[in-house]
Amino acid sequence: MPATPARRSRLRAAATPWLFATPAIVLFTLFLIIPIGYAIYLSFRGFRIEGGGAFGRRVQSFVGLDNYLTALTDPEYVAGLGRVLLYGLVAIPSVLGLALLFALLLDTPRVRARGFARTAIFLPYAVPGVIASLLWGFLYLPSTSPISYLARQLHAGPLDFFGFPTLYFSLANIALWSGVGFNMIIIFTSLRAIPTSVYEAARIDGASELQIAWRIKIPLVAPALVLTGLFSVIGTLQLYSEPATLRPMSTTISFTWVPLMKIYQEAFMNDNLGGAAAASVVLALGILVLSLLLLRFFQRRTFGDDA
Amino acid sequence: MTPPTLPPPRRRRPGTSLAAAALAVALTASLAACSSAEAPSSGTASDGGPVTLQVWTWNLKGTDPRAKAVIDKYHQLHPDVTVKLAEVGGTAETASKLLAADKAGDTPDVVQLEYRGVPAVVTAGAVKDITADVAGVKAGIEPNIWALTTFDGQVYGVPQDIGPMVLTYRKDLFDKYGAKVPTTWAEYAKAAEQIHKKDPSVYIASFSAAQLEFFAAQAAQAGAQWWSNDGKTWKVGIDSEASLKTADFWQDLVERDLVKVEPLLTPEWNAQVNSGKLLSWAAAAWAPNVIYSVAPDTAGTWESAPLPQWTPGDPAVPFLGGSAFLVPAKSKHAKEAAAFAAWLGASDEGSKAQLSLDIYPGGNAGRQATLTHEPPRLMPQQKDFYQVTDQVIKNTTIPVTWGPNVNVAQTAFGDALNAAALNKTSFRAVYQATQQAVVADLQKSGYTVSK
Repeated sequence: MPATPARRSRLRAAATPWLFATPAIVLFTLFLIIPIGYAIYLSFRGFRIEGGGAFGRRVQSFVGLDNYLTALTDPEYVAGLGRVLLYGLVAIPSVLGLALLFALLLDTPRVRARGFARTAIFLPYAVPGVIASLLWGFLYLPSTSPISYLARQLHAGPLDFFGFPTLYFSLANIALWSGVGFNMIIIFTSLRAIPTSVYEAARIDGASELQIAWRIKIPLVAPALVLTGLFSVIGTLQLYSEPATLRPMSTTISFTWVPLMKIYQEAFMNDNLGGAAAASVVLALGILVLSLLLLRFFQRRTFGDDA
Repeated sequence: MTPPTLPPPRRRRPGTSLAAAALAVALTASLAACSSAEAPSSGTASDGGPVTLQVWTWNLKGTDPRAKAVIDKYHQLHPDVTVKLAEVGGTAETASKLLAADKAGDTPDVVQLEYRGVPAVVTAGAVKDITADVAGVKAGIEPNIWALTTFDGQVYGVPQDIGPMVLTYRKDLFDKYGAKVPTTWAEYAKAAEQIHKKDPSVYIASFSAAQLEFFAAQAAQAGAQWWSNDGKTWKVGIDSEASLKTADFWQDLVERDLVKVEPLLTPEWNAQVNSGKLLSWAAAAWAPNVIYSVAPDTAGTWESAPLPQWTPGDPAVPFLGGSAFLVPAKSKHAKEAAAFAAWLGASDEGSKAQLSLDIYPGGNAGRQATLTHEPPRLMPQQKDFYQVTDQVIKNTTIPVTWGPNVNVAQTAFGDALNAAALNKTSFRAVYQATQQAVVADLQKSGYTVSK
């Protein structure tokens, strides 16, 4: 029996959204789902010797949860996680605090050269992380650093930018230099979206600029702060180019200083793709869980319970 | 403002690789690998048609006219073979690139690796056994140098350059501080003390924990074998007593602040060498050219002497650094690739050509040619430089076997030794921990490790 016209159109209606979504689904599958699946597959495999002898051949085989056990019990990997957390403790509040401050300053009514200031603060963000790290590396090394030179002239003693805990501040400083501008733009954009009538009302009520900033602007840009905060947390856990670039210049940054350096080391220096894949999966899951927790926590506080 | 750069990649890049830079070269290399696929090969490699060899090397640089002359010469001799050069980084980067290319099934035809990196790619099955291809040129290189690329009696690469160990030092400043050129390590410690006492801002040398191969050579000179095998099982001797004694030696110098704890070839190291704050580098005959590339203004003030000894009167040393050309297992032109590697490394013409590139040739003809060659640019006044190194090669009687997991040792050792030097903790413990890490990794991979 042929389908009735009504049924056919119902079918078509059901298929249409899928048709529109197909390109996205295909790309998503090709470039995200499949690579992730392959990484998970790799994380259960490792190279083992076949044929015996001192120069037996290494072949890939299934090793079960070996790689995960190794990653989770590896003191260096765990220590690396500890180091990024310590780094985040220094970097995130200073980056976000400064970004918020600059955004609020730029948003005050009588500010001059707003466009120039905004660009100037944003510009370092355009400098790639590796270049920024090399640049700061030269400023940190005693023989090439003008800061150390000045300190020597003032008999302030040698400055060690790579010691403990200064190293964390040296690294956070690079993040600060390049990250403030980006975060400032997000917060600033959100500030400009607030209707001016709110400020007018506040001024009529006799509020000072400081009070407006504290009681109106900051609460209203809270969603932007949550967003930038989340980006910063993810960026912190993915810390790589700064310590990796500075490593050859210092004796305090090890080959496996942060989790991503450890993963790189395993994958490309030790030829242990399985171990690297397992460590990557662990890190990705960690980031995911942490992001979800943070979002839930802040959503409740900034958007109310219904969000 | 000129963009800051690290020193350019050179003959031997002791652990200064930037991971990010490695990624960048990885990209370039994969592009290069793509272009090699377009080589006008009209079928199998052995049919005599024109072939293009893709060569990964840092010895021959595509931008260097002297290297181009060598390549053009080869093309003249073999009109069917065109050689394309690509530089993909030092040993660690090249090895990992090769393993990735091998998995992808698209490898270059010739790959340069330092000797310590060879066993890892052999056990990964990524390079070809070229014993038969090089049988005809065996006489061009001494057997003890062939030994560096021979495992289980099979040859996996053609030695190109070698590193006879020497101490390269600032002659003028050693004289100024009244320090004698040390012939033993005990004298080295004395000289270190004397120099640092005269001027506390000056050190005899830097102590770079990342130089795994140097510490391995030190231990070998003292009679230890970090890796060895009897064909079936591996033996690891990083924590052997002879090896630990060398650890004590360096711990003493570091604790007394007689050497500067500082990585090599950083902008900091370069500045200190330029300003006469670091006076020597115990390495090999390739070191003068490396120093020249970062401190050309100091040329004429340096000299090289045989490495200090542990036992007075015992001049035996191992090689340090140096490299070979290998043929990847998946090369489409393996025969031509082996022939090119053999020509450059073992023929009279090729090994002499190496000398023209400031490379210390491993081939007999090239070594002979050094004796009448001008000294390196760093020490134009030291007319007997190549006589010194030639004698050192005669004394290079200590064979060094590298294991399949040198990279594992490199990381574990370098990081732990840096930490120990900073925190003033036991160097012996570092050697023992490295031993454990290396043994555990070998066992995990499935090798038998004997006690």
